[in-house]
Amino acid sequence: MTSAQAQPLRSADVAVGDELPSFELPVTSTVIVAGAIASRDFMPAHHDAEFARAQGAPDMFMNILTTNGYVARFVSDWAGPEAMIRKIAIRLGAPAIPGQPLRFTGQIAKTSSDGNECVIEVAVRAANDLGDHATGTVIVSLPRGDGPLFV
Amino acid sequence: MADEEVDEVRARLEKYVGEPMGPPSVAPDPVNLPMIRHWVDALDDRNPIYDDEEVASKTRFGGIVAPPAMLQAWTMPRPKIEGIAERGGAPGEIPVDNPIPVLDAAGYVGTLATNSELEFMRYLKPGDHLHVTTEVDSISNRKTTSLGQGYFLTWITTYSTGDGEVVGRQLFRIFKFDPATIDPSKLGAAS
Repeated sequence: MTSAQAQPLRSADVAVGDELPSFELPVTSTVIVAGAIASRDFMPAHHDAEFARAQGAPDMFMNILTTNGYVARFVSDWAGPEAMIRKIAIRLGAPAIPGQPLRFTGQIAKTSSDGNECVIEVAVRAANDLGDHATGTVIVSLPRGDGPLFV
Repeated sequence: MADEEVDEVRARLEKYVGEPMGPPSVAPDPVNLPMIRHWVDALDDRNPIYDDEEVASKTRFGGIVAPPAMLQAWTMPRPKIEGIAERGGAPGEIPVDNPIPVLDAAGYVGTLATNSELEFMRYLKPGDHLHVTTEVDSISNRKTTSLGQGYFLTWITTYSTGDGEVVGRQLFRIFKFDPATIDPSKLGAAS
């Protein structure tokens, strides 16, 4: 398990091209159902494998709210409790299904400043053996604190 | 691969562009700690700003805030569980006058979610009570993709508090397709 780090991330520690610590989520039926119900999404394809298969899916699959939740967690586990996620933009692909671990990877694509905030654009990818489950961009900001702004 | 001409189905959809997808709604409950804890446990998200008041109060947030990705969860309608609409899979009422039933009736009954773009103006705090409106942003002409023939439908949901402050937005795009033309193994990302 990764967890929010004790030392807040500072802008001085961030450079374009840096990679985020990767994270592998063991996707199980339990993980999928727990996320679906916590997000109050009761569509049967997210808790009923038989129903999902009858619709042509290989198994029950993770709902999009949960995917967004894990993408956010992946970035804030790295960025720490002072980080504010401003945007999560993802393209959806292969389903996240039981028995197919999701590997989250990310790379800093861009940095900028907005007032007293350091703004970081992270290119993210969550993939399994079926392909890319979600790819896209997360924009996160950090208070400048006593560190430098990005130029 | 795009069929650029406006066909008869697309012409019938034009009147929906820029219009609401359904009536405005209000979240069943305000942002609250029990639902936040349920979420952080389900996703094993241990960011202390979501459930540790002592730590959260020392951050820029000044106290506990909700995980941003919960935005849509707050406004999910209360479901009707038994029979989930007689196993058709819809846990709530679907507004009738929007592009989806028109596409369903024209044979484009498949649904594949392709894009989600969430924007957060600020993090929500316990007590914030969300109001939500959803508008059709765009509808493509009929496209022939590797997944089959259909239309991309994009809508934008705006989340605001009772006093009208916009706190978040979501752009959502689906591909409504004719299942006769799709590879069923690609259906998994539909929601």
